[in-house]
Amino acid sequence: MITATSLKKNFGDFSAVNGINLQVNKGECFGLLGPNGAGKSTFINMTYGTVKRSSGDLKIFGYDPDTNSREIKYRLGVVTQDNALDESLTVLENMQIYCAFIGVARADRKKRIEDLLEYMNLGHKRDALIQTLSGGMKRRLVFVRALLGNPELLILDEPTTGLDPAVRHLLWGKVRELHQTGTTIVLTTHYMHEAEVLCNRLVIMNHGLVAAEGSPQKMIKEHAPGYVGIFNIEDQNKIKSIIAGRDSYDFVEDTSGVYLRTQTLSDLTSFHSDHGLTPLQIRPSNLEDVFLKLTGKELSVDA
Amino acid sequence: MLNSLKLCMHITHRNWIVYKKDLIANISPTVADPALVLVSLGLGLGSFITNVEGMTYMQFLAPGLTVATALFTSFFESSYGFYVRMTFENVYKAMLTTPIGVKEVVMGEMIWVGLKGAVMAVGVAIVLALFGLMSNPWLIPTLASVGFLVALPCGALGLLSSALVNNMNQFQTVYSFLIAPLYFLSGIFFPISQMATPVRIVAEFFPLIHGVRLAQALFWQRGIGEAFLYSGTILVVQSIILCALAYHFIKKKLIN
Ligand SMILES: Nc1ncnc2c1ncn2[C@@H]1O[C@H](COP(=O)(O)OP(=O)(O)OP(=O)(O)O)[C@@H](O)[C@H]1O
Ligand SMILES: [Mg+2]
Repeated sequence: MITATSLKKNFGDFSAVNGINLQVNKGECFGLLGPNGAGKSTFINMTYGTVKRSSGDLKIFGYDPDTNSREIKYRLGVVTQDNALDESLTVLENMQIYCAFIGVARADRKKRIEDLLEYMNLGHKRDALIQTLSGGMKRRLVFVRALLGNPELLILDEPTTGLDPAVRHLLWGKVRELHQTGTTIVLTTHYMHEAEVLCNRLVIMNHGLVAAEGSPQKMIKEHAPGYVGIFNIEDQNKIKSIIAGRDSYDFVEDTSGVYLRTQTLSDLTSFHSDHGLTPLQIRPSNLEDVFLKLTGKELSVDA
Repeated sequence: MLNSLKLCMHITHRNWIVYKKDLIANISPTVADPALVLVSLGLGLGSFITNVEGMTYMQFLAPGLTVATALFTSFFESSYGFYVRMTFENVYKAMLTTPIGVKEVVMGEMIWVGLKGAVMAVGVAIVLALFGLMSNPWLIPTLASVGFLVALPCGALGLLSSALVNNMNQFQTVYSFLIAPLYFLSGIFFPISQMATPVRIVAEFFPLIHGVRLAQALFWQRGIGEAFLYSGTILVVQSIILCALAYHFIKKKLIN
């Protein structure tokens, strides 16, 4: 569906995307993770041609977005990072005009719009002006907009930013349903949990490069296996001295606590029996640990 | 091609939906302004001028006012209006994720200002005809073509400035150094032949002067055929060149 080869984008002499190779296959839910400024949105904008690549190759449905963007865009649904809703129009007018743009048959428009608005709990706002919606409502409306054309490929650039937990679950449900019925999905998010539950494959980008790639489980196994114990921040010096010289521990201190990752659960529980230190919480390591490790926010023991 | 045109019409339609929400406020200045000029200059100043090219000053002034309306409505729409849509409202950002491309955006906006220019020119002509300033009121509908042909190049100038200014204040500069001279030196207020030769030569390149000639031909029923052949052609050529330029620069703004 999407194939990028040595794809680069420079803004002046700054390289936002610095030679990435990646492939998104039909039917996948593909995650694109990375810190702020990693180049995720730049990549996404290149897929439908609002950012022109500097070099390399990019194909969407086999088309080059620089020359055949229209063919691509007829089959695409996009949640843009900034909502870009038409502020001069009402909710319903926004959706109607958008249906016209993407060529939804006139007879189907009303039902399609109403169904999706109802699903995202926006039915009661159909005649409201965009300015009068809350931030999360606008976000939901952008999601509705992206689905109006029943796209083959759905691109979601931080779709759940600003959504309350209940609505977030609602949106996840819809994304899952679409994934199950064969829609290909590209998702960027800063919620690692979201990527973990939705994506079957993902890449972590950093400084315009792909830092790691694989299924969430594989990434965790490869880059941050084991368990994480969270200890009281006051015990940090004690913990540091205990693990000094032992490299099976990954150690991160944070204002909220000391994060200690170990290969086995017993390495963590032994802190209680051997040193009288009780972790506030013990959990299996997750994608967030991988993210922090790969994007350079984690401090290693010897650092 | 047909598909592209359809997409353009959707943009035009979008602007119409927004425009009609505030119809009275949107239309009244376009009618009020020429009426004010007509009263102050035509009746006021006109009482000192008894004969311009064999007619009263009111009669002389009338055709140009329809054209000036087309100038202002198209320029303001495609400068301030378009700039706000592009920069603050991000209207085109979402559009460009749909099959619409920059070409359709520019063409859609041009069709919109063209139609607006046409309707406004006709509207003003009706008012002027009621004052008895049009020798043959049956020609009123033909002023739509004049309004359209003037609005295209002037609208393209507006789009071009939208692409080139760094902020809204700079439209003021464009207005002072481009639009105002266009307005005052295109033979609306006095016969172009009275101006110094260099000014006359420069003015010949202004789109407005050709619009004024067309309107005068229709209002006074003089040389309509020649006017359309000569000035009409020039307006079409100017529209094509300016639209192409506008497209080139707008594309740089919308595509990174
Ligand atoms: N139009 C532009 N002109 C100049 N620099 C740009 C432009 N667009 C993006 N950049 C730069 O490119 C880099 C990547 O930006 P991008 O928006 O792709 O990041 P991102 O991964 O989407 O980040 P976020 O998580 O914050 O959305 C940033 O450093 C940004 O400043
Ligand atoms: Mg982004």
